[in-house]
Amino acid sequence: MGEAGAASQQGELDLGWMKRRGEWGVRAEPSKQGLTLADIQIGSYGDPVAVSDNQTGRPRGAAARATSMRIGGYSVTRKSEIWLENASFLYEEALQRQWSSATDVPWHTIRPLPDDIEQAQCQLATFLTEVEFVAGDVPARWISQTTPDYFEPRQCLLAQVMDESRHMDVFRKRALANGGGLMLTSGGTAGVVGSIDLSRDFTEMSSRLHISGEGAVLTIFRMGELMAYNEAEKAMYRLCSQDEARHVAFGVMHMRYMSEAAPERREEIQCYLDEAERQILAGSQNPAGTQTDASEALAILLGGGKDKYDEGLKKLIAIRKRQVTEYVKRVRTTGFGDRFDNGRSQLPALMNQAAA
Amino acid sequence: MTQNTGTGARPGVGPAGSEPASATPATPPPFDRPNAAVAAAQADAAPVKPPPPRLTWMGITHQWGTRVKPGKHGLRLGDLNVGIYGEVPAVWNDQTRNPRGAVARRGIPPVGYSIRDKADLWADCAADLYEEAIQRRWAPATDVPWATLASLPDDLEAAICQVATELSQYANVDVEAVTHWQHQMAYGYHEVKQFLATVSFDAARHLEAFRKRALANGGGLGLEGPGEVNRMILESRGGWTETVLYLFVLRGLFTQTMLRYLERYATCDAERAIYGNCLEDKARHLTYGVDHLWYSINHQPDQKLITQQLCIIGERVLVRELKDPVLREALSIVFAGGVARAASEGAAVYRKMMRDFVRRYLDVMKWLGVERTAMFPDELAQYLRND
Repeated sequence: MGEAGAASQQGELDLGWMKRRGEWGVRAEPSKQGLTLADIQIGSYGDPVAVSDNQTGRPRGAAARATSMRIGGYSVTRKSEIWLENASFLYEEALQRQWSSATDVPWHTIRPLPDDIEQAQCQLATFLTEVEFVAGDVPARWISQTTPDYFEPRQCLLAQVMDESRHMDVFRKRALANGGGLMLTSGGTAGVVGSIDLSRDFTEMSSRLHISGEGAVLTIFRMGELMAYNEAEKAMYRLCSQDEARHVAFGVMHMRYMSEAAPERREEIQCYLDEAERQILAGSQNPAGTQTDASEALAILLGGGKDKYDEGLKKLIAIRKRQVTEYVKRVRTTGFGDRFDNGRSQLPALMNQAAA
Repeated sequence: MTQNTGTGARPGVGPAGSEPASATPATPPPFDRPNAAVAAAQADAAPVKPPPPRLTWMGITHQWGTRVKPGKHGLRLGDLNVGIYGEVPAVWNDQTRNPRGAVARRGIPPVGYSIRDKADLWADCAADLYEEAIQRRWAPATDVPWATLASLPDDLEAAICQVATELSQYANVDVEAVTHWQHQMAYGYHEVKQFLATVSFDAARHLEAFRKRALANGGGLGLEGPGEVNRMILESRGGWTETVLYLFVLRGLFTQTMLRYLERYATCDAERAIYGNCLEDKARHLTYGVDHLWYSINHQPDQKLITQQLCIIGERVLVRELKDPVLREALSIVFAGGVARAASEGAAVYRKMMRDFVRRYLDVMKWLGVERTAMFPDELAQYLRND
């Protein structure tokens, strides 16, 4: 009898698997937001172990098979390396706040703009398309390297990859929707030492991507009304800023958890923050960074034209200061605020660059 | 000071076929209703002597004057493929993150993409599937009527939980396989990368939905799957196309067929909603998979034979996995509504499910022009003979 017939006769079921299972009798109840990830973090299915030996891709809490092969090849196997307390909340919020760049942006409100403004808008859109590539690529790589025992943070990162994909397309759409086109790339997203791409530790990557990189972009998006010339652009920046705020929150909450769970790594983390702060104003991944093409485009948009560049630059300088202020607040939230009090942070000196 | 590169188009002058830029209107105000953050930023602005702008980027474009209009489904990704922005080259040698159609800066250190040939990832339908995925988004927390779950006999609950455990593990493999390759794909083919972002996000939802089902009705997770096919998918490092064959077609069709039967034998609306929503997602994944294989086979001389060889290997691995009785027994119990008739009625439905799977698999291979009679495993062929 072939495989298909094995279960075809009465009494031939093995059913041994019924006794090999995870905790039984679990009944998660939906809360007012539905049945959320937080609602199913109950019993033995709740808090994951500090160090995971799951290399088979087994769902957390399921019974293991002795015969399973170690196919995971995961490098992130310590909870402190990726965990955060509010991952379930951030993931569920991401699901609820998904949007469509095709239909949720009122593209019909776009009207022809003066050429200098359209060029500035297209240059900024080109830049943002490029940097959103980084924010999509890098988390994806880390997801595949993280044990599913820490699936809640992975779910957040998967939502981020989706969000960034939408950001890429919304800025591409903007560049091609109003008589302009894509312009000059920055090249600032290359894989060089100290870049987001090359980080070989998740927290190192997260400090650069979520806290300094996306933090700076979030400030810009929140200022979207300053540089928007129609309802479509306002919607674009507003929707992107919602997403970006979640990504920044992920980084902040993860670093806070890391700080508390692995205090022996605090000095190492301070080094990443040193690097991040050197890049925050001078780096080419910040659209408001000093002396970059994107920042010139921003100044034109903020001023209202090439001939009002100086006026726009003043607003841009205010935005840079706000970026730094918000960055400091975030780092204080993570538990690394001492660097601003003990003289380790060079940000006060770097603030002078804001006007450059 | 400004200059153009590439096609020679200049800002304000559209290329043939595109709308020309209209007369320059009066400069609109940069904002009309400043919010609190805007007001605060302005208040913070200190008087400075600004450096003069360089503006060396102005006028640098390969094509200006593009004005894509939204259609009845909005402004979709595929709509943007006009002029040079729609030219998708057979090989994308640029190793930076230069968006397709933008002007690349010279001398930029490479990021290091390993998938740079169109034939290794392309599917014409990717852009449309991307937009469809966004429109058909759902949330397991709120789009599944969890209140309809009702207590079930222990044997049936255990079987459903076992199936949910294995499906959650399948989804985990979807996540890991796709995210392993995603960042290795060059940005010249951004439509595919963007579609794959929806695939891994779909898989995240599937992982979550099946886990929630297992933990919501008095049961719990069961035994992990045997992992033979999981291993094959994750270890298919010969290229993305190989992964596509195993993940979206072989495993994908098997999962899809299983979901269709599970939907038919669901015990409540909550389960029906889970299976139904997952089926919609899986249909997109399969569409991409088949479309990509078709493209690959028709643009690479040896790909048809390679695909055939991979099928022979993959089918044997699947057969090995199917020898494990756990999933088969659990499905038989679900289809029979309990253990009592599982070995008779449940097993009969299971065989029908397998017959449907094998038929669909062979139909897809036939459509692709991949010969699948030679060395086709008897363990699979028998489901057609029993018909």
